This record gives sequence, C-alpha cells and structure tokens, in this order.
Amino acid sequence: MQIIFERSGGIMGLKSSLTLDLNELPLDQAGTLRRLLDEANFFSLTENPPTRPTPDGFQYTLTVVTDTISHTVRTSDTTAPDELHPLLHELSQRARTQGRLKA
Amino acid sequence: MHTHHSVFCITPPHMLQEIVRNGSSTQRDLALRTLITSEQMRGQRRAIKSVAAFMGTAITAGDKQRSVYDAKNDSQLPGTLVRNEGDPASTDPAVNEAYDGSGVTYDLYYDIFGRNSIDNKGLKLESTVHYQKGYDNAFWDGKQMVYGDGDEDLPPADRLFNRFTIALDIIGHELTHGVTQHEANLAYWDQSGALNESLSDVFGSLVKQYQRKQTASEADWVIGEGLFTSNVNGVGIRTMKAPGTAYNDPVLGKDPQPGHMKDYVRTIEDNGGVHINSGIPNHAFYITALELGGNAWEKAGRIWYKTLTDKLQERSTFQQACDLTYEAASELFGANSLEQQAVKKGWSEVGITVGGDAPTGCLSAILGVFGISARAEK
Ligand SMILES: [Zn+2]
Repeated sequence: MQIIFERSGGIMGLKSSLTLDLNELPLDQAGTLRRLLDEANFFSLTENPPTRPTPDGFQYTLTVVTDTISHTVRTSDTTAPDELHPLLHELSQRARTQGRLKA
Repeated sequence: MHTHHSVFCITPPHMLQEIVRNGSSTQRDLALRTLITSEQMRGQRRAIKSVAAFMGTAITAGDKQRSVYDAKNDSQLPGTLVRNEGDPASTDPAVNEAYDGSGVTYDLYYDIFGRNSIDNKGLKLESTVHYQKGYDNAFWDGKQMVYGDGDEDLPPADRLFNRFTIALDIIGHELTHGVTQHEANLAYWDQSGALNESLSDVFGSLVKQYQRKQTASEADWVIGEGLFTSNVNGVGIRTMKAPGTAYNDPVLGKDPQPGHMKDYVRTIEDNGGVHINSGIPNHAFYITALELGGNAWEKAGRIWYKTLTDKLQERSTFQQACDLTYEAASELFGANSLEQQAVKKGWSEVGITVGGDAPTGCLSAILGVFGISARAEK
C-alpha cells in the first residue's frame, strides 16, 4: 500500500509532499497508518468536496493506492471530517520532518 | 458554485463575447454562463453596498470587541474562550499577542480610515490560538483568525517557525482578509487572489508601521519578521521592498516572489500562485509610499483603502487595481496631484502602465476550458 500526500497553500504558499510505501516502513509505523486510514473511513470519503478556498488555509491532497484500488481525497483543515484530522496531522508531521532531514 | 477553478479566472469580457459570437455551442454556453455570473456578482455587490449605506446612518462608532480562544492543540473552532475584551492579560503570550495585535489593527482601521472593525459595523474580533499541533500556519476561516504554534512539537534544532502570533503584521494580514471579504470580496485565485493577498500584506505592514510610528523610509517592509527561528536563513516570509529576497534557505528554498510583471509566475499551485504574484502589487504599493514619503498610512494607505472599499470587484485584475488606485488618488488628492503621480510611478516600476493592457495571467486556463489552445499569453 502506498500513500501519496501533498500539502499546498498556507500563508507562505509553499508545497510539501511525501510518498510512503507501507511495505517499507517498520511494522508499528505501517500499523499506525493503517489504523488512521481505517478510523478516517478513508475509502468512503468524497473525492473532491466543493469548497471555497480559505485565505491562507492549507489544501491537502491524499491518495492511497492498494493492489485493487486507488482513491484520492482533496480537503482542508476547515472542511476535513473530524476522523481525518489525526491522519492529516501524522502525514503533515512526517512531511515536515522529512524536509528537515533532507537538508 | 466556486468549485470550477478555471471558469472563475479573470477573462476579459470582450474575449468571452467573442467566444459567444464565434464558438461552438458548448463553448458558447460556458462563455455565456461566465458572463452572466460576473454580471450577477456586480449587481449583488451594488445591492449590498446600498443597504450597508442605509444601515450605516444608524450605527454609532463602536468600541473594539475582542475575544481570544484556545484550541488546546485541537482542530475545533473556535475552542475555549480565554480572554474577552477588557479582561486582564493572560499568562499565555500567544493569547496576549492575538488580543493586542487585533487591537492595534482595529485602531489603524478606525483612527486612520474611520472603519469600525472588519464589517464596519463593529464586528467582534475573534482569534483562536494553539490551533492543532505543529501547525506552521495562520489563516482566516471566513469568520475568525486562526493561529498555529509553529514547530513547537519538534526538537529545537529542527524548528523553523515560532508561534504565528509573534508577528504583528501577520495578525493585521489575517484580519484584513476579513475586511476584504466584506468589501471587494476578491476571489481567492489568480490575479484577484494575489490582490487579496497583497492587500493583506499592505495593511498588515501598515499596522506594524503604525504601531512603531515609522515613516515609509524607516520601515523594513518585511512581512512576518520574527516568525522564523534562528535555524532559517531569512528575515521573514515576504518583503515588499525587494520581493524574492526574504529568505534563501536549504530547507525552505528561496523566496519565489516576483517584483515585476516580466517575472509573473503562471502556476496552478496555491490557487494560481496567490502568495507568489502578490509580490508585484506589494512592490507597487511600496514604491508609491516611498515616493510620497512620511507615514505610509497617511496617503498611499488611504488611496489603497478607498480602492479596496469603493472600487475593486470580485474578479479584478492587476491592471484594474492599477487604474483604480490611480482613479482613487485623483478623487482623494486631485487630478495630476503628486499623489496620483506617485501611484502611476509605483505601478510603472512593476511593469504596469495606467490605462494599459497588462496580461491577466490565466488566459491559458480559460482558453483550455473552451477547448482552444493559447497562443502567446503576453
Ligand atoms: Zn493571506
């Protein structure tokens, strides 16, 4: 399973992105991500809910690819369902720290 | 109705009319719909304005009403009320910065432009601090200001951002998004979005200069000073004085802002580069203010404020902003006044001529919708 995450916008208008292959992650980390996807009911979330852009808000694009399905959700901090927030936070955190490690 | 990005690009009406005349039936439908929608928006705004003018007679100048909430690292807005107008200072610096910063912003708008809060009717100024965890951002959600704590969740050596209330101009920036929403209501994409962004930087910077009692030449014109930790090679997130030079850092990259139309960035990221191309109108304001000297809020600020409240429309372009600030300068200070000449110079230094025909920036997107491939865009 692959997770492709992208965060854009924000007051700086900077983009950060992250691609994770769950098979290559330590078991506990892959488990956490699978649980967060489950709890968010990710595969039944609407792909592209209509939203008016929020000034300086982040926009998130999250794609999950399995052997059988590929699903993309576009969302924001103010429109994301409550259950999706922990996953967005986990991925944002990883994207931020990954950027630091590269430097 | 705002889901289809491309159709809401700023397309010159004559082009749409051309498509209505000569396009295929599908192209005609799309063009017609776009024309009708923009006419409806103009009508609506006129109606809203006349109601507001009528109501305005019954409204007396209000005191500022501030409320600061604590999201306690969660995403629920507004969170728990922690400080109301008149309450003593908190022990939490973020709470006090949000309270004091929205106060100074209110004061600039009231003292200089005679505006009573975000809606000019005394709307309560609401701010939420400690939004989420490791949230390196601030935004306006349509009703209130929201601030994250930066990288507080990372080890100090990895942190790039401090809390977002630390910079007064960021508070002025967010609150101004509310003012813009109640006035020109500039659509948040492409050039109208970049103008929306620029106005927030302009008035955010004026709030900082007003608090510091600085003249245009004394001010640093940096947006978000103090926001970066010492791990970042940069002075702030943007600079109106020299767009493109605010930061150059191994992790964050280089400040991507242009300061001239020749470097206009065409992108679909960030709603069409609203935080990137805002460098162009930002620099036009800076040049105008510097040219006029003294406190930037006295003349340049008044011209831009009049343009924001009386002239700009939902889908205004850079060219229109240039022409309308020029018009506002004439109405405020007289035709051919020094002020009007300074406005002309400000825009000309970023490559936009009064009465000219600057590119609108999203021609290719709109042509794509109609199935036509763009030739040269400039
Ligand atoms: Zn903004």
